[in-house]
Amino acid sequence: MNDAILEVRDLTVRFGTKRGVAHVVNGISYTINRGETLAIVGESGSGKSVGVLALMGLLPQPPALVTGSVRYHGRELLDLPPREWRSIRGKGMAMIFQDPMASLNPVRTIGYQLIEPMEHHLRLKGKAAQNRATDLLDLVGIPSPKERLKNYPHQMSGGMRQRVMIAMGLACDPDVLVADEATTALDVTTQAQIVELVGRLQEKIGMAVIWITHDLGVVAGIADRVHVMYGGRFMEQASVDNLFATPRHPYTRALLGSIPKPGKERPAKLMTIAGMPPDPVLMPAGCPFAPRCAHADGARCDDTIPQMESLGGTHGAACHYPLEAKS
Amino acid sequence: MNEKPTSRTRETLQILLANRLAVVGLCVLALLVVVGVIGEAVAPYGINDIDIANRLTGPSGAHWFGTDELGRDVFTRVLVAARVSLQVGFIAVGFALAVGVPVGLVAGYYRGTIDAVLMRIMDVLFSFPAILLAIAILAVLGPGIGNAMIAIGLVYTPIFARITRGSVLVVSEEVYIRAARSLGARDGRIILRHILPNVLAPIIVQTTLSLAFAILSEAALSFLGLGVQPPNPAWGRMLAEGRNFFQQAPWMGIFPGVAILVTVVAFNFVGDGLRDALDPKQKSVIESRGQSV
Repeated sequence: MNDAILEVRDLTVRFGTKRGVAHVVNGISYTINRGETLAIVGESGSGKSVGVLALMGLLPQPPALVTGSVRYHGRELLDLPPREWRSIRGKGMAMIFQDPMASLNPVRTIGYQLIEPMEHHLRLKGKAAQNRATDLLDLVGIPSPKERLKNYPHQMSGGMRQRVMIAMGLACDPDVLVADEATTALDVTTQAQIVELVGRLQEKIGMAVIWITHDLGVVAGIADRVHVMYGGRFMEQASVDNLFATPRHPYTRALLGSIPKPGKERPAKLMTIAGMPPDPVLMPAGCPFAPRCAHADGARCDDTIPQMESLGGTHGAACHYPLEAKS
Repeated sequence: MNEKPTSRTRETLQILLANRLAVVGLCVLALLVVVGVIGEAVAPYGINDIDIANRLTGPSGAHWFGTDELGRDVFTRVLVAARVSLQVGFIAVGFALAVGVPVGLVAGYYRGTIDAVLMRIMDVLFSFPAILLAIAILAVLGPGIGNAMIAIGLVYTPIFARITRGSVLVVSEEVYIRAARSLGARDGRIILRHILPNVLAPIIVQTTLSLAFAILSEAALSFLGLGVQPPNPAWGRMLAEGRNFFQQAPWMGIFPGVAILVTVVAFNFVGDGLRDALDPKQKSVIESRGQSV
């Protein structure tokens, strides 16, 4: 079962801007296996969304410049002609977006939008497509799915629309589903339902999920492995248990420290990380986190970019001075 | 296909018919179309029946709108001229739509060089005052009703290109367009199935308003002698002829003028009504009234 579906090597995305070249994603690498959930966590502007858009081939080039390698079942995607890439998008790899209010076409019925990718990729038509669309809506937990096919997006709530988006993503049995902040725009109870739904579907269908989020709570609920992203690089990668139990990168620890923990005694002041994320046009020469890091040495950290080093097993951190595992 | 175009059209109609002014406009337009089709057959006189003895007589039972300087029945001529006005309006605007909308779709979707080239051409057309450009085109092509249609069509093309492009720029940034692309849709499909329906509303509204302006332009060109050629009647021409006799026979100018006014206002009413009816956010109002979920 442990075959790699997607291998990303040294993926880099740069944008030409008026102020200079923006280094948004600076060489990220990861592998995702069948049935696995990989979470990519990072704050706004860390390059996590751009990274997956590049992966899906959805960044217009130019202005974007994407380099590196993305292998899907061993096939290099970045060199693929647009036509062939299109046949993978939606079929092999599907994506759900942040704002369910905006990601459905307001002038088309739910049914039309669900069936469109099926017609395109699976050559399903008429009754067969209708039935599959009904089944999909049922699968994502929408009551009276048959009637709902005739609805327009504005007749549905945010949570329902996100379910419809998931159904659309699943329409052609993808083996990779990319969820880009898929729960961010939803309220907390709906969030939990969507997280639970994706987890359940994943078990049932066996697809891999790349979950992009800034919400560590969601990560804990859904992910197998976590990559922490900052300034367009991975700072730390670990299994979800290891990451929460023994964060080794100062950034991860600071991030975790800034979350209030229920049950424990409330600290006088919630920890914050001073400063701002780096400007992608003026990336520091060394570790991107160095200017904000309490452990930076002021020399090596500012000059040399730390590489991802293994700290035992799958746990790795890109830091010159990884923190000791707390006992 | 599971698309239900009928239901969407029905909803739009429902809202449109709830708007009184739009209904008035529609009725007037329907009447105009009927007149345009059967006008010549039901008119009391022939368009060129000259009756010098009764020239310049005021409105009466025999001549409802009076007679002109050659004793021709003004009512007949106003009735028959409806056809040519509507024809010019529809064909010219059809031409403008057929050229302008594709230009706007392509320019707005692909942007970059294509956009720059196409829109600069449109800007050149747009930079001339409408009637001057039409006159210039007619000077090249020669006067006549067919050429007037082309000229008016060309004059209105850049408006459609701009309106379409502007809406496409907005809509193509929407997440649902990216979502469609993430599901593997082709450019052509995205443009025609996802973007076009979303930009249709302003285009339709502009169409009805442009129809009104096209009819006005035709009247202006005919007034200047560049459109419909004598002895065929056209509202603009009749206005021009009536100008010379305005002191003695004001009805010669007033009735064709009123015809232009009524037509233009009717198109505007319908345009306004359509704009409200085509706003997808308005739709939920009727739906929540009609069915409870």
